[in-house]
Amino acid sequence: MNEKADRAHGTESETQARIAELKYSLHLMRQNPLVLAGLILVVFFTAVAAVATLLVSNDEAFMFDFGQSYCWSNAVFSWTQLEATCPPGTNFILGTDGFGRDLLRMIILSIPLDLKIAFLIVAAASAFGVALGAIAAWIGGKFDEAILRITDVFFAFPGLVLALVFAALFGRTVQTLTLAVLLVWWPTYVRLTRGQVLVEKEKTYAEALKSIGVSPARIVLFHIIPNAIYPIIVQMTLDIGGVILTFSALIFLGFSPSPALPELGNLAADGINHVFTAPWLIVFPGLTILLIALAFNLMGDGLRDILDPRLRR
Amino acid sequence: MIFVLFGVSAIVFYMARGFPSAFAPWAQYVSEKLKPGQLEAIIKAHGFDQPLYIQYWYWLQDVFHGDWGYSNWANGLPTYYVFVSRFPFTVELTIAATIFTVALGIPLGILSAVKNNTAIDHVARIIALTGYSVPSYWFAYILQLVFFYYFYTWGLPNLPSGGIISQGLAGTVPTITGLPILDGLLAGNLTYTVDALAHVILPAFNLSFISLGYLARIVRASMLDVLRQDYITMARSKGLPERIVIYRHALRNALIPAMTLTGIFVAGLLGGAIITETVFSWPGVGNVSLRAVFLGDSNFLLLYCLVTALIIVVTNLVVDVLYLFIDPRIKY
Repeated sequence: MNEKADRAHGTESETQARIAELKYSLHLMRQNPLVLAGLILVVFFTAVAAVATLLVSNDEAFMFDFGQSYCWSNAVFSWTQLEATCPPGTNFILGTDGFGRDLLRMIILSIPLDLKIAFLIVAAASAFGVALGAIAAWIGGKFDEAILRITDVFFAFPGLVLALVFAALFGRTVQTLTLAVLLVWWPTYVRLTRGQVLVEKEKTYAEALKSIGVSPARIVLFHIIPNAIYPIIVQMTLDIGGVILTFSALIFLGFSPSPALPELGNLAADGINHVFTAPWLIVFPGLTILLIALAFNLMGDGLRDILDPRLRR
Repeated sequence: MIFVLFGVSAIVFYMARGFPSAFAPWAQYVSEKLKPGQLEAIIKAHGFDQPLYIQYWYWLQDVFHGDWGYSNWANGLPTYYVFVSRFPFTVELTIAATIFTVALGIPLGILSAVKNNTAIDHVARIIALTGYSVPSYWFAYILQLVFFYYFYTWGLPNLPSGGIISQGLAGTVPTITGLPILDGLLAGNLTYTVDALAHVILPAFNLSFISLGYLARIVRASMLDVLRQDYITMARSKGLPERIVIYRHALRNALIPAMTLTGIFVAGLLGGAIITETVFSWPGVGNVSLRAVFLGDSNFLLLYCLVTALIIVVTNLVVDVLYLFIDPRIKY
């Protein structure tokens, strides 16, 4: 406990200890090839997302020029339209989709949208959940009980159904779908934070701070939450993958705002129309989702090992 | 527990009936034969113009009388009947998926823990992580593509791409339990049973691939924890072979957290795996609930959400009680 009280005040030895801690974390990270792989993938996808609009113009997703298609040999007649999909090859590395768009360019274009939505949902869910969980745990009593019961209700729901009903009611826009996923996601953070704060609140340093007259808001915000933040960070990292999966699943199940929207789930949904004639259209977008989710899960899994002091030495 | 069920029903009721764009509950009465003014009369007679809390009260009264309303898309059959006729298919899928999950997830976790920080551990962990990073709708189509389409084009014995039974065999066996595999066995019809088994493999594997990752991780973590305990060192120092130490001494305690997780999976799966059931056109409750969402059948959604919530709540309770019997260290 002394160590933690020291930390709250911030001395020179403490910064040194922190640097040593960081070095040890880096060492652990180097020891674990899986985390490193996850980290590299995460950096790669974030970098792609950052420069995506420079690589591919946003308008390209909505330009269908069937006359320009090179691949009439693979033309498939359907009842509604003439479709020309190119197999992966020299002209197009990953082939073209049913609208005659270059699949690789569409995947690059959809990565920023997916990542942006995932970051947004996780940030909003964790901010709301952490605030509510911390307040509930600190106040306790009836309020805590009420919050706990409400999260119970949300946990007993088949999560996807709630999101589906919400999306069905409020129309098929990206904003609605984001809200729908958010609606399902926040209770996890309430539970997690509540548990953490309940433990920290009983510790000596919290008592000490209370006894010297620090305001409760200050104690929770600046002392308890920083001490309880590691499991929440791990959960956030793991959830980014989960959110992308859920969001793209909603789109895939038929809540797509527009069939042409460059979003990974949407690209895969377009692929099922051609699943036996042009399998690459479903394989590559899904593989991208898998890799993004895997990257964040690898990182989160490793962070858990690195940040958890019980597993350290 | 009661509160949870009321909460779930109130939220669904409010969402399904309350919003301006909500699913119209009187849709089942609309037909071309209606004269002008009749629809308004029906709405008035059924109380659909009343405030929501009064409507909710009416609905609760009906539910306690066992009346769950009607599903107009299913030829106006009672919603309860629609649910009960579909539930056995979901049960069959759940059983198959649970068997897959346990049979693959636990060995993977043990392997990962025993060979900790070796290449085998890394491979096992990547398999587990891939399991819960995979978009299940995508994986379902990939399974269909490979085991149905490509196996077919290569002339290999292929698995069916969807449904519960081949078309020619449907209805050849009397429905006793509702589970196609069990019905086939009870009727002594081996062809039917094998066909039903072949249909269940792909969807069950798709479902289990997601959950076995979680299971393997929990087993790995608790196994590592147990292997560090004193009594394991004791067992080893007695000179017991490593096999006995791991399988007889360590595994028993390591499997307790795995049991909780399996319970939660079973509860979640019984609620119907919407995505998997839809892709494999498996006629279970998850598949129907997606249809109910699109067709605005609030009666079915209410029944479905309540049953699912009930299953989850009861499972949590059962798991807690089972702990008492399995783990002698826990006493309430």
